[in-house]
Amino acid sequence: MDALNTVAAVVVTYNRKDKLGTVLDSLLAQTQLPDWIIVVNNASTDGTEQMLASYTDHDRVIVHTLPENAGGAGGFAAGMARGYELGADFVWIMDDDCYPNRDALEELRVGLAKAEESMGMSLPYACSVVKFIDGEICEMNNPGTTWDWGRLLARGQNAVLVTHCSFVSVMFSRCVLTRYGLPLKEYFIWFDDQEYTLRVTKHAPGVQILSSVVVHDMGVNRGVNFADVTAANLWKFRYGVRNETSFRLHHQGVGAFLKFLGRLFTGTMRGNVPWGLRIELFRKAVEGVRFNPKPTYPHSVL
Amino acid sequence: MNDDTANQRTTAVFELLDEAGASLDEGTSRPLNERERRLVVGAATFHALCKPGRTIRLTVLRGPAGTPLRLTDRNVHRIEWPDDCEVVGSMVLRSTARPPAGSEPGTGLIDIVVDVGGPPVYEHIYGKRPTLFGHGRRMARFLAPIPFDALRQYRTDLLERQLRATTLARKPAVGLAHGITGVPGDRPAAVLFGLHWLELGGAERWALDTVQIASAAGFTPIVITDRASAHPWITRPELADAVVVPLTQPLDPGADAEFLNGLLANFDIRGVHIHHNTWLYQRLPWLKAQRPELPVVDSLHILEWRTGGFVDIAVRLSNVIDVHHVISPALRDYLLGRQGLPAEKVKLATLANLTGPDIAAVDRSRADDDPFIVVFVGRFSQQKRPYLFLQLAKRVLRTAPGEVRFVMHGEGELRNEVRSLCVRYGLSEVVELRGPEIPVATTLAEADVLVISSDNEGLTLTSFEATAAGVPVVSTDVGSQCSLVATELLCPRHPYPFLQAATKSVVAMMTSADLRKKWLEEQLVKAAAFTRLTDARSWIRELYQGWMR
Repeated sequence: MDALNTVAAVVVTYNRKDKLGTVLDSLLAQTQLPDWIIVVNNASTDGTEQMLASYTDHDRVIVHTLPENAGGAGGFAAGMARGYELGADFVWIMDDDCYPNRDALEELRVGLAKAEESMGMSLPYACSVVKFIDGEICEMNNPGTTWDWGRLLARGQNAVLVTHCSFVSVMFSRCVLTRYGLPLKEYFIWFDDQEYTLRVTKHAPGVQILSSVVVHDMGVNRGVNFADVTAANLWKFRYGVRNETSFRLHHQGVGAFLKFLGRLFTGTMRGNVPWGLRIELFRKAVEGVRFNPKPTYPHSVL
Repeated sequence: MNDDTANQRTTAVFELLDEAGASLDEGTSRPLNERERRLVVGAATFHALCKPGRTIRLTVLRGPAGTPLRLTDRNVHRIEWPDDCEVVGSMVLRSTARPPAGSEPGTGLIDIVVDVGGPPVYEHIYGKRPTLFGHGRRMARFLAPIPFDALRQYRTDLLERQLRATTLARKPAVGLAHGITGVPGDRPAAVLFGLHWLELGGAERWALDTVQIASAAGFTPIVITDRASAHPWITRPELADAVVVPLTQPLDPGADAEFLNGLLANFDIRGVHIHHNTWLYQRLPWLKAQRPELPVVDSLHILEWRTGGFVDIAVRLSNVIDVHHVISPALRDYLLGRQGLPAEKVKLATLANLTGPDIAAVDRSRADDDPFIVVFVGRFSQQKRPYLFLQLAKRVLRTAPGEVRFVMHGEGELRNEVRSLCVRYGLSEVVELRGPEIPVATTLAEADVLVISSDNEGLTLTSFEATAAGVPVVSTDVGSQCSLVATELLCPRHPYPFLQAATKSVVAMMTSADLRKKWLEEQLVKAAAFTRLTDARSWIRELYQGWMR
């Protein structure tokens, strides 16, 4: 087999044309260029399509337009499947407000290869350090670490072992998609990244490469906290609660499920979230008990 | 003995001392046809290699049609035979095979009785199950083919999930640095091939190509088959220079070691190439223990969820195989991603043999009043599910916007069932059955769409042939069919969703010529991308040339 070296970068976008251009420019300026840049247009309505037209002359850029908004989960699943079908050995995925440093991909590649050699096994993914625009750590995109997270640091590598991470600059090997399938598109948004990265670290940990840095240009630098639920952001939390309930119960067991319910209860109580919203969230938790989608697998085309 | 035979015997390991009735010489008047003659030569080669120096008296029988061959198994030592077998010859040979190092040639006479079988017949698939259960199955499938198939597919789903979740255990590698049997070096350089059988099949076509490539590279191909068959392809020209040994099993205890030792002593075997041969797979650890430096490659074609198939065996023995050659991206991904084999051990090299047809070259215009022709090309077997195609015909007829005809081109164990179902469904007027006497190219030249209804495939050669002929393919989404077929024309494997999706696609093509053209264009783009992958013939040629150095 030829050396495993092709990379498909996948960007999922929805109505964010003002930032998407910067993302694509950052990708096209990488010290190690991705072989394909797949932009999944989640049926944007803000003129994204016209903006993307200026990039279609570039032979590496592929625009994959979905007929309807499939959410981040559906978009990533579609983009990763497309990269797999094109024959990519790695898929590197990110949001449409993620600006990778020029050497972000190169560092991921080199760091992953070194980590695999040191650990003596294939590792499912490598993720970047995600910073906010002010240079601080991005609250929402911190990976969870393994108990022996510093093993590679002790060996002189600039990397730590992780159990899960967000979909903001993470690179999966092709074998992971073959073995574990795609993210659950039914999740639509929220917790799809945790579910997937936890799923694929069953047999080996992921790795965060500390020298690979991206900037996440999100509006407010705040993590997911049930104390923050408001009527305006309820729609997102509804998906989050349903998805996490499903994951904790069906993939981790009753103990994890009850612990999650406790966290939901205390979080909303601490934030003094209105009772109507709390009830709505618990209703979604009940829905999550019955919600248990199964992964689909990409096609081996090339 | 004529010149051709003399040439062929340059690698022969026996000499003929006397013969009565049957003759082993080519071109002489004799009671054995060419297929039978080559089978007898194969049997003689096997016994001569097993018993160097011994004199062998070979009694040749021919049983009635369909009788299994008896060439190398333990029954060849029985000197009685059933009433319906006729004696067609007797011959005395002397093994000229060199004995393995450290042993002396044997002496004395051995009596061997071989049976070349009768004329080959298609074995009915349920002939293997002459039980009440087998009869019940056959009836169930004939009376309710679709529910029957739906149950089969649910079973496949279950097994597929199990197999996907399993990482197969592997035999340990052989840790020796070199072999211990020193043999003189004036033997012909050879490549040892393991084949399933010598019958029509995609894997067999590729196997014979490799035999020919080895021949052209200057090797003596040694071809061993391990599956019961009449071996109709034993007369193919690709095998003209090969030493062919069709094994019939079970062998005598110890005969496998005698045979392989005989091969190692008489041929300078430079490499092993396995094409679906369980017997040779299972003896690889022993072979590697004797000759650790011997390169071993296998060719894999199809994933079989129900049994694991040859892919499963190959993974278990991966530590004694140097390179797994796979013909499709799906197999490559399975071996790397699912079974965790190292990338350097898996080589994707395709059998596409396409030269990138373009839409302008293959787009055929058709008059509006021409009937739309839907074709099925393939063996009439359970795997190909011809009964699904007939159901599809029924459904398309109901909704077709114009005149439509169906052609089923093939042969196989379900042919009677196909004929009966045709009548039962009232399709006799619109379905034409064609046998192998008509070239597939003729059928494809008339076709408007090819339908592949198989429940399992690797990557069908028929799809490539259809692409070259400019025919869009509607196919079940199995194996690597997605490498060639337009995404919207891939249908689920389960029978009911398949019928729904395939009917919709065929009717859509009849309704809209533009849609048909769009799907064909996508197929051609995929074909063009596929042809850019490594070509198997070039790769294997280079590999064998490396073995010659």
